[in-house]
Amino acid sequence: MSTKTNVHISLEQAKLLVEYIESDQQTKANELIAEIQSPINSELFEEIGKLTRQLHDSLNNFQIDERLNDLATADIPDAKERLNFVISHTEEAANKTMDAVEAIFPVVDGIQKQISTVNPLWQKLMHNDLDVVEFKALCQDIDVLLKTTEKESSKIHRLMTDVLMAQDFQDLTGQVIRKVIDLVREVEESLIYMLTAFGMSSEKNKSDQLPKVGENLVEGPIINSENRQDVVSGQDDVDDLLSSLGF
Amino acid sequence: MFSPEGALDKNMKVLVVDDFSTMRRIIKNLLRDLGFTNISEADDGNTALPMLKDGNFDFVVTDWNMPGMQGIDLLKAIRADSNLSHIPVLMVTAEAKKEQIIMAAQAGVNGYIVKPFTAATLNTKLDKIFERLG
Repeated sequence: MSTKTNVHISLEQAKLLVEYIESDQQTKANELIAEIQSPINSELFEEIGKLTRQLHDSLNNFQIDERLNDLATADIPDAKERLNFVISHTEEAANKTMDAVEAIFPVVDGIQKQISTVNPLWQKLMHNDLDVVEFKALCQDIDVLLKTTEKESSKIHRLMTDVLMAQDFQDLTGQVIRKVIDLVREVEESLIYMLTAFGMSSEKNKSDQLPKVGENLVEGPIINSENRQDVVSGQDDVDDLLSSLGF
Repeated sequence: MFSPEGALDKNMKVLVVDDFSTMRRIIKNLLRDLGFTNISEADDGNTALPMLKDGNFDFVVTDWNMPGMQGIDLLKAIRADSNLSHIPVLMVTAEAKKEQIIMAAQAGVNGYIVKPFTAATLNTKLDKIFERLG
């Protein structure tokens, strides 16, 4: 624009301007000045006009786009509820599984104990080194062992079925999470549309930025450790790092 | 089980700190399986610290990422308190950035386990910690 600031006005224009001012025709004088400057202004005005139209259209589109409103007021709160459902169901499944496992532990320990009671005499029997009294005792022990094992294995079987059934959360939470992923995709598309409408390029900022970390760099589980240089990929890496620090 | 001499006191008081009750339960079960019986729980550093201050605890297993006081801050608080600074602290966490592991080491952590982990890893790390402490 700097070249255009040197625009000269013609003598004719200058005379006319003086005439307008002298005859107190301020409006006409202003118009004349605008005309003299018009090469600059017409471009500028045209550009501002274009931008204004774009902005107007964009804003109108947003008002029309009720989907965006639905996303914010209905879908996202619904998604929060769904994700809470996932938390509570996985927690419930984990607890049901641990209930069963914790009930199995003592049962197995009990059987193990009885086996170690039977074992010394059994070994003696196997080496033909058992007297009659011991044989009777062994028979008693084996009898107890058989009875408990029979009873306890059906208990273990029942508890294992509980563990099995506790895994049904995967189907339900899988479906719920898939729905939330669809929603996230839709929100992403809307946001990209918004950025584009306002003339901001989403690609420009798409550099491989790391996710935001919280206090103390907290980020939670890393799901793409193979693509990251700043994280360890397992316990071995941790141990190597610590030993390199003199641990 | 942890030292050849069997010198480790399995009655030692252990505090397990994690905001998820299921993870506390897993760790408790694993510790119980290793013979530890005296185990208490806390769901973040703010709950853990007062328990430690009047609890005569011998060992702390803590998560890092917890609402309220995080594990790293709990570790720092333990090391800063002359009554608690001797307590060994094992971190069991999903936090896997090298910078964080270094941060924990500098804060005086005794062991660092990344989730997901195995019972064998926990066993090995406990062994190592108490072997070092003698």
